Amino acid sequence: MSLEQIPHNFLTARLEDLVQWARERSVFPATFGLACCAMEMMATGAAHYDLARYGMEVWRASPRQADLIIVAGRLSQKMAPVLRQVYDQMVEPKWVISMGVCASTGGMFNNYALVQGVDQVVPVDVYVPGCPPGPETLFHGILTLHHQIRTGELLRRREATGAGAGIQLDQRDGTPSHVQPIPVRRKSA
Amino acid sequence: MTTNAVPMSQWPSEHRYTIPVAPGPETVTVTIDGRAAQIPRGELLIKAAQDHGTYIPRFCWHERLKPVGMCRMCLVEIEGMRGLQISCATPVADGMVVHTTSDAVTTAQDGILEFLLINHPLDCPVCDRGGECPLQDQTLAFGPGESRFVEEKRHFEKPVPISDLVMLDRERCIQCGRCTRFADEVAGDPLIDFGGRGGSTEVITYLDEPFHSSFSGNTVQICPVGALTARPYRFRARPWDLASTETSCGACAVACRGSLESTSNRLVRLLGVDSEPVNQGWLCDKGRYGLDWVHSDARLRQPMVRRAGELVESSWPDALDAAAAAIRNTLDTHGPNGIAVLGGSRGVNEDAYLWARLAKGVLGTDHVDAQLGDGLPADVVLGMPRATIPDLDRAKAIVLLAPDLKEELPVLYLRVRRAAHDLGVPLVDVAVRDHGLTPYATAVLRHAPGDPGAAAGVVADALVGRPGRTKVGKAIVDATDGRDGPVVVILGRTSVAEHPDAIVHAASRLTGLPQVRFLSALANPNVHGALDLGLTPGFLPGRVSLDAGRDHFTKAWGAVPDAVGRDAAGILRAAATGEIAALVLVGCDPLAECPDRNLARAALEQADTVIAVSAFMDTAAFGATVVLPPTVWGEQSATTTNLEGRVVRLGRRVTPDGSTLESWRIPAELAARLGSDFDLETVDEVQDEIARVAPAFAGVDASLLRRARDGVVLPLADHADEVTFGRAGAGPGPSWEPILPVPEVVGDDDRSPSTSASDSPSAAVPAPTPPVPLHRWDAPPDAPSVPPLDAYALRLVAGHALYGADAIVAATPALASLTHEPTLGLNARDRDRLGVHDGDRVRITTARGSVDLAVRTDAQTPPGTAWIVANAAGPGAPDLIDLTSPVTELRVETIS
Amino acid sequence: MGRLSGFRVTITQVFRPRVTEKFPQEKRPKPPRFHGRHVLNRYEDGMEKCIGCELCAGVCPAQCIYVRGADNLTDAPVSPGERYGFVYEINYLRCIHCDLCVEACPTEAITETKLFEFSFARRQDAIYTKDELLVDDEGRARRQPWELWLGGEDDETSAWMRATSSSGNAAYENRVAWSGELGFGVREPERGQGGDPGALPAPDQGGVS
Repeated sequence: MSLEQIPHNFLTARLEDLVQWARERSVFPATFGLACCAMEMMATGAAHYDLARYGMEVWRASPRQADLIIVAGRLSQKMAPVLRQVYDQMVEPKWVISMGVCASTGGMFNNYALVQGVDQVVPVDVYVPGCPPGPETLFHGILTLHHQIRTGELLRRREATGAGAGIQLDQRDGTPSHVQPIPVRRKSA
Repeated sequence: MTTNAVPMSQWPSEHRYTIPVAPGPETVTVTIDGRAAQIPRGELLIKAAQDHGTYIPRFCWHERLKPVGMCRMCLVEIEGMRGLQISCATPVADGMVVHTTSDAVTTAQDGILEFLLINHPLDCPVCDRGGECPLQDQTLAFGPGESRFVEEKRHFEKPVPISDLVMLDRERCIQCGRCTRFADEVAGDPLIDFGGRGGSTEVITYLDEPFHSSFSGNTVQICPVGALTARPYRFRARPWDLASTETSCGACAVACRGSLESTSNRLVRLLGVDSEPVNQGWLCDKGRYGLDWVHSDARLRQPMVRRAGELVESSWPDALDAAAAAIRNTLDTHGPNGIAVLGGSRGVNEDAYLWARLAKGVLGTDHVDAQLGDGLPADVVLGMPRATIPDLDRAKAIVLLAPDLKEELPVLYLRVRRAAHDLGVPLVDVAVRDHGLTPYATAVLRHAPGDPGAAAGVVADALVGRPGRTKVGKAIVDATDGRDGPVVVILGRTSVAEHPDAIVHAASRLTGLPQVRFLSALANPNVHGALDLGLTPGFLPGRVSLDAGRDHFTKAWGAVPDAVGRDAAGILRAAATGEIAALVLVGCDPLAECPDRNLARAALEQADTVIAVSAFMDTAAFGATVVLPPTVWGEQSATTTNLEGRVVRLGRRVTPDGSTLESWRIPAELAARLGSDFDLETVDEVQDEIARVAPAFAGVDASLLRRARDGVVLPLADHADEVTFGRAGAGPGPSWEPILPVPEVVGDDDRSPSTSASDSPSAAVPAPTPPVPLHRWDAPPDAPSVPPLDAYALRLVAGHALYGADAIVAATPALASLTHEPTLGLNARDRDRLGVHDGDRVRITTARGSVDLAVRTDAQTPPGTAWIVANAAGPGAPDLIDLTSPVTELRVETIS
Repeated sequence: MGRLSGFRVTITQVFRPRVTEKFPQEKRPKPPRFHGRHVLNRYEDGMEKCIGCELCAGVCPAQCIYVRGADNLTDAPVSPGERYGFVYEINYLRCIHCDLCVEACPTEAITETKLFEFSFARRQDAIYTKDELLVDDEGRARRQPWELWLGGEDDETSAWMRATSSSGNAAYENRVAWSGELGFGVREPERGQGGDPGALPAPDQGGVS
């Protein structure tokens, strides 16, 4: 019986808080360094930023022991099945951070060779901008993920949206309504 | 060295402005930057250098305009001549040695550009030209790196609107005179000119008259800076955002070539492409700025089906099923004669052919008409000997039996004007009232509405050298004396208020002339394609009559109708009496387009089933049983046929919004649901089937159309030598220079007969003989009897205005404001006789109906006639006209 | 030392100063030419500097900027001149912070801040519109909920500087060419990347002019 199936009451709510706190404080990332972003990902784990402060000191090479996969770098079409396989091999609950613009949208490589956003392959929970994101930025993304794990918004949102699928880009375009034609003198026909 | 040049005032205005020089060999040898070249005698040096790979910078010189030498940018050094010469006004001479990059030349170029930039504001970031600006480009390529000018630049109020469509920024103007010369030399609307002196020279309009020209957009295209900007395009995009496709304009039957440009899946700009036989780079404003209608919110984006009295949005399979069921139901109850197909003159060739095949081959009805009583009999249009537009330039004489070309076919007006005004071709104007070409006519004949026969007789006699006793006859004889070449008759409906028999009769008087050729002046974009492809009673696709093509088409299609069907007037009458139960309206709105609105209304009210193929919820679609929205111009690649019979490709630039179906798939899908699968998957397959089946289109298949640069004139057998192919590697140039047409590259198209053919302009085109002889028009009808004019009545003349109530204008905000309320145009004499004043509302009554309109004095309208625009919105001429009567007589009464 | 010799490294490290940053509470100082997220600046009278010319969008190698211009209203202009940026959007999931937009901008309308600590839980949040990019009435960047601003950080915003130094001289301090105003109100141009100020080239050499 998973956590989500327990009937909701005062006790279970406290239990849920505890479980979420525990999850938040023990996120083990799997390594998925694909390109230059991986350097910044390593820097984030090193002494200057010290992810261990947040219970994340071990980077797992085995997906079965990881909760989080940080897709760091541009994902080529050939690599996409590998990413999906690694994601599928992870056990629930699991999270995905898309690190850097190449992973998030293809970035400046708007071409056929790269997946234009890893959320076409796996459900992404946090997008980290930057080319590459600095350690602070990735750290900020990890803290955003922690916040989501703790508040449980993650689970609700997954139910609502199918997690990461169904991207909607709003162009917010059009003609400004206040632009009026300037009148000119006209001959009658 | 002498060039024996004649004074500039005596230069002829021919297309490539060569300067007449003393007779001599055909070509001369000129050395440009060390390279010797053979150049036609009399060619301008700037053009000769450009053709041989040396670009001389220029601002004022344009290939289609007379040289003026205003900008001094094209200075070159010619050995043996003192000082620097402007290459745009210097004809080549034998043995000329030219340097375009010497120190003296570059110093001069630096100086000229520094001078031009003294007063030019550096607001390139907000200027629409920024990014494709000749001044930017040439300053970068030829200019000095910096300016020494530190003083205040001149300032004007900016930008000022000089017409509804064009804005003028006088600060940016470099006084090259391209716009003023275009307006004067090409358009014949000299409404802009230079005013002021020295540093404060500016382009001005008349105080009381803005730059109201139908061709004003061309000045924006050829302006070498951002001084003239188009209000519809203003700030819509930057040049680097644009993606372009070559296409043909879809606004009228001239089908001008253009480069259609879009950004973010929106059409934003159409630039004229310099297609030598058709538009020579120019476009009219309606075609150029009629783009926004494609993206209009009023466009239908879902098919609709009437359920329980209400039109509701539906899916395509459901809508097509409903339409097919309604057709089958009518077939069961009324037989094939209970169904009629109207319209198709605003579509493309492919859908016209498939509608004809559906109607005639599958449904078995011949009640099919693309023209709604506003055209000419198909017998005449399909069977008359046809002229091409270039024939105008070398004609013995041009006879106008046509409506106002400036309003209905604006770019044809430009070509006729050029032939008459610049090339000296005699122009004979036979019409009821004055129009745009009257000032250029050699002889003007005026006749009463409905009676052009006598005037045509005078012209026919004069053109064979019999002047008769009239002054105009003598004038025509004098003007045509010694000229040879074809007589080109431009034939159209001079007034939709009279029966077409009158104009056909007049045309028949001219058929006996030697080398006479006709150019049809029907205006709807693809009306000629629709007629050619059988959307007219009594004819089958490819200009063959029902009887002549019966065997051929029975083999191709399986069946053809037994008897000749009704034309549009007959269909509407039969629908009004219930004989025809189902009407299929292919992109037409009879209530707006048919000259007899009462008849159209009765027909639509009586018909059990109306299937409307319409991009808009027009009045016809409003009452329809099923509405099927097609994709439109700019959204699908297809072909269209212009008034010469020239088949040209239409390009696709944007992806249609919503759920529309390519227009040719609608008849194909209906046929499949009615048990006859055409088995056509792509538009190329439709074109190939047309080439295979329709006799006049023999040989004009998809592969040839791809490669032919300026399209293919039908029938190919007669015009095979006119087909030109593109030059390899030729690409579109900058927008302010003439943009040369480039056929689609067919590198990997294994269906083209040989890939090398597309590179060589001289490749012979295989021109198969049509399997069935094409229709010929003979049997001129008897002269129609015109009732004598009632002393108290006026005869109605009704014609179309450029900005009418059609979908292109109505759904394009920039053009919608250019339409006018319909008025009753009266001669001053009639106005005084009736005792009314300008602006008074009067009630106009004819045998058919009555409307209230305001009076306007119209000097172009002769006494005894009244002028009403036929395609204006609201009540007007269509409420007054009876399709059957020879003329429309009206009475005017004042209302308080 | 014997057995304790193995702890020598450990014990030595214990007494060294800590290198770990207290990141969410403190940030490491940013280098002078650091490129963070953008702001759209305004003039002191509140007018927007952006004129919608799309040069930033044209130069952007990642095609992350979307701009559309429109005619200014004559009675209530948004920016000086004829044209203003009617739509301005930056997609931070494409932006590579190369600063070419800042170089291209003819009016210094777009500049970059030092803020780089942001991440998105929703893709839509990553597309900043004009409302989010435009500085507020105080001339400071509008802080979004998903951004981590620390005190005083927005003082460092919007000082204009070329992405690459002119003439290849890292110590060179660019001059403000277009106007004396940056962000909102007058701010100091940013300092160079170290080096001896006396060794700077004269302003005429290689600067914008």
